[in-house]
Amino acid sequence: MTRLRFHMTFPEERVKEPILYEISQKFRVVPNIRRADVSDSSGWVELELEGELPEIERTIDYLRKRGIHVDPLEKTILEG
Amino acid sequence: MSNPSASHRPSPEGTSPSAFLKGLKCRECGRLYDLAAIHVCDFCFGPLEVDYDYEAIRRVLTRDAIQKGPNSLWRYKHLLPVVNEPTIGLHAGMTPLLKADRLGKALGLKRLYIKNDTVNHPTLSFKDRVVAVAINRARELGFKTVACASTGNLANSVSAHAASAGMNCFVFIPHDLEAGKILGNLIYKPTVVAVKGNYDDVNRLCSEIGAEYPWAFVNINIRPYYAEGSKSMAFETAEQLGWRIPDQVVVPIASGSLLTKIWKGFQEFSSLGIVDAHPGLKVNGAQASGCSPVYQAFMAGRTQFVPVKPKTIAKSLAIGNPADGYYSLDVVGKSHGQVEAATDPEIVEGMVLLAETEGVFAETAGGVTVACLRKLAKKGAIRPDDLTVAYITGNGLKTMEALTGYLPEPVGIDPTLASFRKIVNPS
Repeated sequence: MTRLRFHMTFPEERVKEPILYEISQKFRVVPNIRRADVSDSSGWVELELEGELPEIERTIDYLRKRGIHVDPLEKTILEG
Repeated sequence: MSNPSASHRPSPEGTSPSAFLKGLKCRECGRLYDLAAIHVCDFCFGPLEVDYDYEAIRRVLTRDAIQKGPNSLWRYKHLLPVVNEPTIGLHAGMTPLLKADRLGKALGLKRLYIKNDTVNHPTLSFKDRVVAVAINRARELGFKTVACASTGNLANSVSAHAASAGMNCFVFIPHDLEAGKILGNLIYKPTVVAVKGNYDDVNRLCSEIGAEYPWAFVNINIRPYYAEGSKSMAFETAEQLGWRIPDQVVVPIASGSLLTKIWKGFQEFSSLGIVDAHPGLKVNGAQASGCSPVYQAFMAGRTQFVPVKPKTIAKSLAIGNPADGYYSLDVVGKSHGQVEAATDPEIVEGMVLLAETEGVFAETAGGVTVACLRKLAKKGAIRPDDLTVAYITGNGLKTMEALTGYLPEPVGIDPTLASFRKIVNPS
Protein backbone atom coordinates (compact mmCIF):
# COMPACT_ATOMS: atom_id res chain seq x y z
CA MET A 1 0.00 0.00 0.00
CA THR A 2 1.15 3.50 -0.81
CA ARG A 3 0.14 6.80 0.72
CA LEU A 4 0.59 9.94 -1.36
CA ARG A 5 -0.32 13.54 -0.56
CA PHE A 6 -1.98 15.94 -2.96
CA HIS A 7 -3.25 19.48 -3.33
CA MET A 8 -6.45 19.55 -5.39
CA THR A 9 -8.14 22.65 -6.72
CA PHE A 10 -11.82 22.48 -7.66
CA PRO A 11 -13.24 24.89 -10.25
CA GLU A 12 -16.59 26.57 -9.61
CA GLU A 13 -18.57 24.06 -11.66
CA ARG A 14 -17.27 21.16 -9.55
CA VAL A 15 -17.48 22.67 -6.08
CA LYS A 16 -20.91 21.23 -5.28
CA GLU A 17 -20.23 17.72 -6.54
CA PRO A 18 -19.35 14.89 -4.11
CA ILE A 19 -16.24 13.99 -6.05
CA LEU A 20 -14.21 12.63 -3.17
CA TYR A 21 -17.07 10.29 -2.27
CA GLU A 22 -17.20 9.30 -5.93
CA ILE A 23 -13.53 8.31 -6.09
CA SER A 24 -13.78 6.25 -2.94
CA GLN A 25 -16.63 4.29 -4.61
CA LYS A 26 -15.07 4.05 -8.03
CA PHE A 27 -11.49 3.21 -7.05
CA ARG A 28 -9.85 1.23 -4.27
CA VAL A 29 -8.38 4.28 -2.59
CA VAL A 30 -8.97 5.85 0.81
CA PRO A 31 -9.02 9.67 0.81
CA ASN A 32 -8.01 11.30 4.08
CA ILE A 33 -8.62 15.07 4.10
CA ARG A 34 -6.30 17.19 6.27
CA ARG A 35 -6.98 20.75 5.14
CA ALA A 36 -9.56 22.36 2.90
CA ASP A 37 -11.08 25.70 2.00
CA VAL A 38 -14.23 25.76 -0.07
CA SER A 39 -16.27 28.73 -1.21
CA ASP A 40 -19.07 29.22 -3.74
CA SER A 41 -16.65 29.95 -6.55
CA SER A 42 -13.78 27.51 -5.95
CA GLY A 43 -12.11 25.34 -3.40
CA TRP A 44 -9.01 23.40 -2.54
CA VAL A 45 -8.39 20.26 -0.58
CA GLU A 46 -5.17 18.80 0.79
CA LEU A 47 -5.45 15.09 1.33
CA GLU A 48 -3.73 11.78 1.44
CA LEU A 49 -4.72 8.94 -0.86
CA GLU A 50 -3.99 5.43 0.33
CA GLY A 51 -4.05 2.47 -2.01
CA GLU A 52 -1.98 0.56 -4.55
CA LEU A 53 0.07 2.94 -6.70
CA PRO A 54 -1.61 2.07 -10.04
CA GLU A 55 -5.00 2.62 -8.41
CA ILE A 56 -3.92 6.01 -7.08
CA GLU A 57 -2.67 6.92 -10.55
CA ARG A 58 -5.98 5.92 -12.12
CA THR A 59 -7.75 8.05 -9.54
CA ILE A 60 -5.61 11.07 -10.41
CA ASP A 61 -6.22 10.59 -14.12
CA TYR A 62 -9.96 10.42 -13.46
CA LEU A 63 -9.91 13.58 -11.35
CA ARG A 64 -7.95 15.49 -14.00
CA LYS A 65 -10.44 14.42 -16.64
CA ARG A 66 -13.21 15.80 -14.41
CA GLY A 67 -11.48 19.19 -14.42
CA ILE A 68 -9.89 18.97 -11.00
CA HIS A 69 -6.38 20.44 -10.85
CA VAL A 70 -4.20 17.90 -9.06
CA ASP A 71 -0.70 18.75 -7.89
CA PRO A 72 1.65 17.27 -5.35
CA LEU A 73 1.13 18.70 -1.89
CA GLU A 74 4.12 20.97 -2.57
CA LYS A 75 2.29 22.41 -5.62
CA THR A 76 4.70 23.63 -8.32
CA ILE A 77 8.19 22.28 -7.62
CA LEU A 78 9.69 22.87 -11.05
CA GLU A 79 11.18 26.36 -10.85
CA GLY A 80 12.83 28.62 -13.39
CA MET B 1 3.17 13.70 -4.08
CA SER B 2 4.98 13.08 -0.88
CA ASN B 3 5.25 9.84 0.96
CA PRO B 4 4.95 10.89 4.59
CA SER B 5 6.66 7.90 6.11
CA ALA B 6 9.73 8.34 3.93
CA SER B 7 9.93 12.10 4.40
CA HIS B 8 10.11 11.56 8.13
CA ARG B 9 13.19 9.42 8.07
CA PRO B 10 15.51 10.71 10.74
CA SER B 11 18.21 12.93 9.35
CA PRO B 12 21.71 11.55 9.67
CA GLU B 13 22.76 14.23 12.11
CA GLY B 14 22.35 17.80 13.20
CA THR B 15 18.75 17.89 14.35
CA SER B 16 19.60 19.29 17.76
CA PRO B 17 18.70 22.95 18.19
CA SER B 18 21.39 25.61 18.11
CA ALA B 19 21.63 28.61 20.38
CA PHE B 20 19.31 30.55 18.09
CA LEU B 21 17.16 27.90 16.43
CA LYS B 22 14.39 26.21 18.38
CA GLY B 23 13.07 23.89 15.70
CA LEU B 24 10.50 23.84 12.93
CA LYS B 25 6.95 25.06 13.44
CA CYS B 26 3.79 24.54 11.42
CA ARG B 27 2.61 27.81 9.91
CA GLU B 28 -0.99 26.70 10.27
CA CYS B 29 -1.42 24.74 13.50
CA GLY B 30 1.76 25.71 15.34
CA ARG B 31 2.94 22.15 16.03
CA LEU B 32 6.67 21.89 16.72
CA TYR B 33 9.19 19.61 15.03
CA ASP B 34 12.92 18.89 15.18
CA LEU B 35 15.30 20.72 12.85
CA ALA B 36 15.17 17.86 10.36
CA ALA B 37 14.79 17.55 6.59
CA ILE B 38 10.99 17.84 6.67
CA HIS B 39 8.73 20.49 5.20
CA VAL B 40 5.11 19.59 5.95
CA CYS B 41 3.19 19.24 9.19
CA ASP B 42 2.24 15.60 9.68
CA PHE B 43 -1.01 16.58 11.30
CA CYS B 44 -2.53 19.34 9.13
CA PHE B 45 -0.22 19.30 6.06
CA GLY B 46 0.63 22.97 6.65
CA PRO B 47 4.10 24.19 5.64
CA LEU B 48 6.85 24.16 8.25
CA GLU B 49 8.92 27.23 9.08
CA VAL B 50 12.05 27.73 11.12
CA ASP B 51 11.32 28.77 14.70
CA TYR B 52 13.98 31.11 16.10
CA ASP B 53 14.81 32.00 19.68
CA TYR B 54 14.41 35.73 19.21
CA GLU B 55 15.22 36.51 22.84
CA ALA B 56 18.61 34.85 22.48
CA ILE B 57 19.19 36.62 19.16
CA ARG B 58 18.24 39.98 20.65
CA ARG B 59 21.01 39.60 23.23
CA VAL B 60 23.76 39.34 20.62
CA LEU B 61 22.53 40.94 17.40
CA THR B 62 23.31 44.64 17.03
CA ARG B 63 24.02 46.91 14.09
CA ASP B 64 27.66 46.90 15.14
CA ALA B 65 27.82 43.10 15.22
CA ILE B 66 26.30 42.94 11.75
CA GLN B 67 28.73 45.49 10.34
CA LYS B 68 31.68 43.54 11.72
CA GLY B 69 30.48 40.44 9.87
CA PRO B 70 31.51 39.28 6.41
CA ASN B 71 30.53 41.23 3.30
CA SER B 72 27.91 38.64 2.39
CA LEU B 73 24.50 37.45 3.57
CA TRP B 74 26.30 35.60 6.38
CA ARG B 75 26.60 38.87 8.28
CA TYR B 76 22.98 38.05 9.25
CA LYS B 77 23.73 34.45 10.21
CA HIS B 78 21.92 34.76 13.55
CA LEU B 79 18.70 35.05 11.56
CA LEU B 80 19.52 32.28 9.09
CA PRO B 81 18.87 28.58 9.79
CA VAL B 82 22.36 27.13 9.99
CA VAL B 83 23.83 25.70 13.15
CA ASN B 84 27.55 25.80 12.36
CA GLU B 85 29.76 28.34 10.63
CA PRO B 86 28.88 28.36 6.90
CA THR B 87 31.43 26.80 4.57
CA ILE B 88 29.73 27.08 1.18
CA GLY B 89 28.31 30.06 -0.69
CA LEU B 90 30.41 32.45 1.34
CA HIS B 91 30.09 35.29 -1.18
CA ALA B 92 26.35 35.30 -1.81
CA GLY B 93 24.46 38.46 -1.02
CA MET B 94 25.48 42.05 -0.20
CA THR B 95 24.64 43.02 -3.75
CA PRO B 96 24.43 46.74 -4.61
CA LEU B 97 21.44 48.88 -3.69
CA LEU B 98 21.47 51.45 -6.48
CA LYS B 99 19.89 54.87 -6.21
CA ALA B 100 17.99 54.78 -9.50
CA ASP B 101 17.62 58.47 -10.30
CA ARG B 102 17.34 58.12 -14.07
CA LEU B 103 14.80 55.31 -13.90
CA GLY B 104 13.00 57.22 -11.16
CA LYS B 105 12.81 60.30 -13.36
CA ALA B 106 11.31 58.23 -16.18
CA LEU B 107 8.67 56.86 -13.80
CA GLY B 108 8.05 60.03 -11.79
CA LEU B 109 9.62 58.64 -8.61
CA LYS B 110 12.10 60.75 -6.65
CA ARG B 111 13.38 58.18 -4.16
CA LEU B 112 13.71 54.96 -6.09
CA TYR B 113 16.29 52.24 -5.40
CA ILE B 114 17.10 49.03 -7.23
CA LYS B 115 18.28 46.00 -5.28
CA ASN B 116 20.57 44.53 -7.88
CA ASP B 117 20.83 40.75 -7.59
CA THR B 118 21.91 40.47 -11.23
CA VAL B 119 25.43 40.41 -9.80
CA ASN B 120 24.90 37.86 -7.06
CA HIS B 121 27.62 35.25 -6.56
CA PRO B 122 28.22 32.71 -8.00
CA THR B 123 25.42 32.43 -10.60
CA LEU B 124 24.00 35.94 -11.00
CA SER B 125 20.56 35.53 -9.47
CA PHE B 126 18.88 35.80 -6.08
CA LYS B 127 18.74 31.99 -5.98
CA ASP B 128 22.35 32.12 -4.79
CA ARG B 129 21.00 33.36 -1.46
CA VAL B 130 18.51 30.58 -0.86
CA VAL B 131 20.76 27.87 -2.23
CA ALA B 132 23.72 29.00 -0.11
CA VAL B 133 21.57 28.53 2.97
CA ALA B 134 20.06 25.26 1.73
CA ILE B 135 23.39 23.64 0.88
CA ASN B 136 24.98 24.57 4.20
CA ARG B 137 22.00 23.18 6.06
CA ALA B 138 21.95 20.05 3.88
CA ARG B 139 25.59 19.39 4.76
CA GLU B 140 24.85 19.90 8.44
CA LEU B 141 22.10 17.32 8.13
CA GLY B 142 24.56 14.87 6.62
CA PHE B 143 23.34 14.80 3.02
CA LYS B 144 25.78 13.86 0.28
CA THR B 145 23.44 14.55 -2.64
CA VAL B 146 21.42 17.65 -3.50
CA ALA B 147 18.68 17.93 -6.09
CA CYS B 148 16.19 20.29 -7.65
CA ALA B 149 13.70 20.51 -10.49
CA SER B 150 14.45 23.61 -12.50
CA THR B 151 14.74 25.01 -15.98
CA GLY B 152 16.97 27.95 -15.10
CA ASN B 153 18.30 29.98 -12.18
CA LEU B 154 17.67 27.43 -9.45
CA ALA B 155 19.42 24.66 -11.40
CA ASN B 156 22.38 26.98 -12.06
CA SER B 157 22.79 27.85 -8.44
CA VAL B 158 22.31 24.34 -7.05
CA SER B 159 24.77 22.91 -9.60
CA ALA B 160 27.42 25.53 -8.84
CA HIS B 161 27.12 25.27 -5.07
CA ALA B 162 27.11 21.47 -5.19
CA ALA B 163 30.26 21.55 -7.30
CA SER B 164 32.06 23.80 -4.85
CA ALA B 165 30.89 21.63 -1.95
CA GLY B 166 31.93 18.41 -3.70
CA MET B 167 28.39 17.03 -3.42
CA ASN B 168 26.50 14.89 -5.89
CA CYS B 169 23.88 16.86 -7.75
CA PHE B 170 20.75 15.87 -9.67
CA VAL B 171 18.82 18.36 -11.77
CA PHE B 172 15.45 17.35 -13.24
CA ILE B 173 14.13 19.00 -16.39
CA PRO B 174 11.38 18.31 -18.95
CA HIS B 175 12.86 16.33 -21.87
CA ASP B 176 11.82 18.91 -24.47
CA LEU B 177 13.59 21.85 -22.83
CA GLU B 178 15.76 23.77 -25.32
CA ALA B 179 19.39 22.63 -25.08
CA GLY B 180 20.64 26.17 -24.53
CA LYS B 181 18.68 26.45 -21.32
CA ILE B 182 20.66 23.76 -19.64
CA LEU B 183 24.14 24.41 -21.09
CA GLY B 184 25.04 26.74 -18.26
CA ASN B 185 24.47 23.89 -15.83
CA LEU B 186 26.44 21.18 -17.57
CA ILE B 187 29.73 22.95 -16.92
CA TYR B 188 29.30 22.15 -13.22
CA LYS B 189 28.87 18.43 -14.04
CA PRO B 190 25.58 17.68 -12.29
CA THR B 191 23.53 14.70 -13.42
CA VAL B 192 20.83 16.27 -15.55
CA VAL B 193 17.78 14.04 -15.83
CA ALA B 194 15.47 14.82 -18.75
CA VAL B 195 12.04 13.45 -17.89
CA LYS B 196 9.82 12.34 -20.76
CA GLY B 197 6.61 14.15 -19.98
CA ASN B 198 5.22 17.62 -19.46
CA TYR B 199 5.82 20.04 -16.60
CA ASP B 200 3.14 18.36 -14.47
CA ASP B 201 4.82 15.00 -14.95
CA VAL B 202 8.22 16.38 -13.91
CA ASN B 203 6.61 18.00 -10.92
CA ARG B 204 4.92 14.85 -9.80
CA LEU B 205 7.97 12.66 -10.31
CA CYS B 206 10.15 15.04 -8.30
CA SER B 207 7.74 14.94 -5.41
CA GLU B 208 7.85 11.14 -5.45
CA ILE B 209 11.65 11.06 -5.75
CA GLY B 210 11.90 13.60 -2.95
CA ALA B 211 9.92 11.24 -0.74
CA GLU B 212 11.86 8.12 -1.65
CA TYR B 213 15.53 9.08 -1.98
CA PRO B 214 17.71 10.28 0.90
CA TRP B 215 18.66 13.48 -0.90
CA ALA B 216 18.43 17.12 -0.04
CA PHE B 217 15.82 18.35 -2.48
CA VAL B 218 16.34 22.05 -1.94
CA ASN B 219 12.79 23.20 -2.54
CA ILE B 220 11.07 20.13 -1.10
CA ASN B 221 12.45 18.62 2.10
CA ILE B 222 14.98 21.44 2.64
CA ARG B 223 12.46 24.17 1.79
CA PRO B 224 11.99 25.54 5.33
CA TYR B 225 15.73 26.38 5.43
CA TYR B 226 16.10 27.28 1.75
CA ALA B 227 13.31 29.84 1.84
CA GLU B 228 14.83 31.68 4.79
CA GLY B 229 17.75 32.80 2.62
CA SER B 230 15.41 35.27 0.92
CA LYS B 231 15.14 37.30 4.12
CA SER B 232 18.66 38.54 3.48
CA MET B 233 17.23 40.71 0.68
CA ALA B 234 15.29 42.65 3.31
CA PHE B 235 18.14 42.76 5.82
CA GLU B 236 20.53 44.17 3.23
CA THR B 237 17.97 46.67 1.98
CA ALA B 238 17.42 48.02 5.49
CA GLU B 239 21.13 48.22 6.23
CA GLN B 240 22.02 49.79 2.87
CA LEU B 241 19.29 52.40 3.30
CA GLY B 242 20.97 53.49 6.53
CA TRP B 243 19.07 51.15 8.87
CA ARG B 244 15.56 51.92 7.80
CA ILE B 245 12.61 50.18 6.19
CA PRO B 246 11.38 51.65 2.89
CA ASP B 247 7.84 52.91 2.27
CA GLN B 248 7.22 50.62 -0.70
CA VAL B 249 8.80 47.51 -2.15
CA VAL B 250 8.05 45.83 -5.47
CA VAL B 251 8.84 42.12 -5.53
CA PRO B 252 8.42 39.61 -8.37
CA ILE B 253 6.18 36.65 -7.51
CA ALA B 254 7.04 33.13 -8.66
CA SER B 255 6.37 30.73 -5.77
CA GLY B 256 5.58 33.77 -3.61
CA SER B 257 8.26 32.83 -1.11
CA LEU B 258 10.55 35.81 -1.84
CA LEU B 259 7.77 38.31 -1.20
CA THR B 260 6.72 36.74 2.10
CA LYS B 261 10.31 36.43 3.29
CA ILE B 262 11.15 40.05 2.47
CA TRP B 263 8.20 41.03 4.63
CA LYS B 264 9.38 38.65 7.36
CA GLY B 265 12.92 40.04 7.19
CA PHE B 266 11.73 43.59 7.77
CA GLN B 267 9.47 42.41 10.61
CA GLU B 268 12.35 40.56 12.28
CA PHE B 269 14.68 43.54 12.05
CA SER B 270 12.11 45.88 13.56
CA SER B 271 10.99 43.51 16.31
CA LEU B 272 14.64 42.99 17.31
CA GLY B 273 15.18 46.74 17.44
CA ILE B 274 17.73 46.77 14.60
CA VAL B 275 15.56 49.30 12.76
CA ASP B 276 12.53 51.34 13.71
CA ALA B 277 9.21 49.74 12.90
CA HIS B 278 7.50 51.08 9.81
CA PRO B 279 3.82 50.10 9.84
CA GLY B 280 3.35 52.03 6.58
CA LEU B 281 5.50 49.65 4.52
CA LYS B 282 3.57 48.48 1.47
CA VAL B 283 4.60 45.20 -0.13
CA ASN B 284 3.65 45.04 -3.82
CA GLY B 285 3.81 41.95 -6.01
CA ALA B 286 4.72 41.71 -9.71
CA GLN B 287 3.70 38.88 -12.01
CA ALA B 288 3.81 38.18 -15.72
CA SER B 289 0.34 38.32 -17.29
CA GLY B 290 0.98 34.91 -18.84
CA CYS B 291 1.36 33.36 -15.40
CA SER B 292 -0.53 35.48 -12.91
CA PRO B 293 -2.59 33.39 -10.50
CA VAL B 294 -1.82 35.70 -7.57
CA TYR B 295 -2.60 38.84 -9.58
CA GLN B 296 -5.90 37.36 -10.76
CA ALA B 297 -6.93 36.47 -7.21
CA PHE B 298 -5.90 39.92 -5.98
CA MET B 299 -7.93 41.65 -8.68
CA ALA B 300 -10.96 39.48 -7.93
CA GLY B 301 -10.65 40.15 -4.21
CA ARG B 302 -10.25 36.46 -3.46
CA THR B 303 -7.98 34.82 -0.91
CA GLN B 304 -7.81 31.66 -3.00
CA PHE B 305 -6.13 31.46 -6.35
CA VAL B 306 -6.72 29.17 -9.28
CA PRO B 307 -3.67 27.35 -10.74
CA VAL B 308 -2.78 28.34 -14.32
CA LYS B 309 -0.78 26.95 -17.23
CA PRO B 310 2.15 29.36 -17.65
CA LYS B 311 2.66 31.06 -21.00
CA THR B 312 5.14 33.88 -20.67
CA ILE B 313 8.67 34.85 -21.61
CA ALA B 314 9.38 35.34 -17.90
CA LYS B 315 10.28 31.69 -17.39
CA SER B 316 11.81 32.23 -13.97
CA LEU B 317 8.40 33.41 -12.72
CA ALA B 318 6.40 30.71 -14.52
CA ILE B 319 4.96 28.87 -11.54
CA GLY B 320 1.36 27.98 -12.18
CA ASN B 321 0.49 26.78 -8.68
CA PRO B 322 2.70 28.79 -6.34
CA ALA B 323 3.38 27.16 -2.97
CA ASP B 324 3.29 30.50 -1.17
CA GLY B 325 0.65 32.14 -3.34
CA TYR B 326 -1.85 32.28 -0.49
CA TYR B 327 0.71 33.71 1.94
CA SER B 328 1.92 36.32 -0.54
CA LEU B 329 -1.68 37.49 -1.04
CA ASP B 330 -1.95 37.70 2.73
CA VAL B 331 1.19 39.86 3.04
CA VAL B 332 0.11 42.16 0.21
CA GLY B 333 -3.31 42.50 1.84
CA LYS B 334 -2.13 43.27 5.35
CA SER B 335 0.52 45.74 4.15
CA HIS B 336 -2.06 47.47 1.91
CA GLY B 337 0.09 46.83 -1.14
CA GLN B 338 -1.03 45.76 -4.58
CA VAL B 339 -0.28 43.12 -7.19
CA GLU B 340 0.31 44.09 -10.80
CA ALA B 341 0.95 42.10 -13.96
CA ALA B 342 2.91 42.78 -17.15
CA THR B 343 2.44 41.44 -20.66
CA ASP B 344 5.37 40.04 -22.64
CA PRO B 345 5.95 43.27 -24.62
CA GLU B 346 5.74 45.27 -21.38
CA ILE B 347 8.30 42.93 -19.83
CA VAL B 348 10.78 43.61 -22.63
CA GLU B 349 10.08 47.35 -22.39
CA GLY B 350 10.86 47.09 -18.67
CA MET B 351 14.16 45.32 -19.37
CA VAL B 352 15.13 47.95 -21.92
CA LEU B 353 14.09 50.85 -19.69
CA LEU B 354 16.16 49.52 -16.79
CA ALA B 355 19.17 48.96 -19.01
CA GLU B 356 19.07 52.34 -20.76
CA THR B 357 18.47 54.34 -17.60
CA GLU B 358 20.55 52.52 -15.00
CA GLY B 359 22.94 50.33 -16.96
CA VAL B 360 21.50 47.19 -15.39
CA PHE B 361 20.78 44.26 -17.68
CA ALA B 362 18.12 42.20 -15.96
CA GLU B 363 16.51 38.95 -17.02
CA THR B 364 12.82 38.88 -17.89
CA ALA B 365 11.79 38.76 -14.22
CA GLY B 366 13.47 42.16 -13.81
CA GLY B 367 11.44 43.38 -16.75
CA VAL B 368 8.31 42.24 -14.93
CA THR B 369 9.33 44.15 -11.80
CA VAL B 370 10.08 47.37 -13.69
CA ALA B 371 6.92 47.14 -15.81
CA CYS B 372 4.78 46.63 -12.71
CA LEU B 373 6.63 49.39 -10.85
CA ARG B 374 5.79 51.68 -13.76
CA LYS B 375 2.10 50.75 -13.55
CA LEU B 376 2.00 51.25 -9.79
CA ALA B 377 3.62 54.67 -10.14
CA LYS B 378 1.35 55.67 -12.99
CA LYS B 379 -1.83 54.91 -11.08
CA GLY B 380 -0.57 56.63 -7.94
CA ALA B 381 -0.28 53.52 -5.80
CA ILE B 382 3.38 54.52 -5.37
CA ARG B 383 3.74 58.25 -4.84
CA PRO B 384 6.69 60.35 -6.08
CA ASP B 385 8.13 60.87 -2.59
CA ASP B 386 7.78 57.29 -1.39
CA LEU B 387 11.06 55.63 -0.53
CA THR B 388 10.73 52.70 -2.93
CA VAL B 389 12.86 49.60 -3.54
CA ALA B 390 12.39 47.37 -6.59
CA TYR B 391 13.92 43.91 -6.49
CA ILE B 392 15.82 42.82 -9.61
CA THR B 393 16.46 39.13 -9.17
CA GLY B 394 18.45 37.81 -12.15
CA ASN B 395 20.91 38.71 -14.87
CA GLY B 396 19.83 39.48 -18.44
CA LEU B 397 22.54 37.28 -19.93
CA LYS B 398 20.36 34.35 -18.85
CA THR B 399 17.37 35.30 -21.01
CA MET B 400 18.89 36.84 -24.14
CA GLU B 401 16.38 35.03 -26.35
CA ALA B 402 13.56 37.17 -24.96
CA LEU B 403 15.06 40.21 -26.70
CA THR B 404 15.12 38.71 -30.18
CA GLY B 405 13.48 41.13 -32.59
CA TYR B 406 13.00 43.85 -30.00
CA LEU B 407 16.32 45.68 -30.25
CA PRO B 408 17.69 47.82 -33.11
CA GLU B 409 20.25 46.36 -35.51
CA PRO B 410 23.85 47.67 -35.34
CA VAL B 411 24.57 50.69 -37.55
CA GLY B 412 26.62 49.49 -40.55
CA ILE B 413 29.37 51.68 -42.03
CA ASP B 414 32.24 51.38 -44.47
CA PRO B 415 35.70 51.24 -42.90
CA THR B 416 36.29 54.96 -43.51
CA LEU B 417 36.16 58.03 -41.33
CA ALA B 418 33.84 59.70 -43.83
CA SER B 419 31.34 56.92 -43.48
CA PHE B 420 31.49 57.16 -39.69
CA ARG B 421 31.04 60.95 -39.82
CA LYS B 422 27.83 60.50 -41.78
CA ILE B 423 26.45 58.44 -38.92
CA VAL B 424 27.55 60.79 -36.15
CA ASN B 425 26.49 63.93 -37.94
CA PRO B 426 24.05 63.07 -40.71
CA SER B 427 23.47 66.74 -41.63
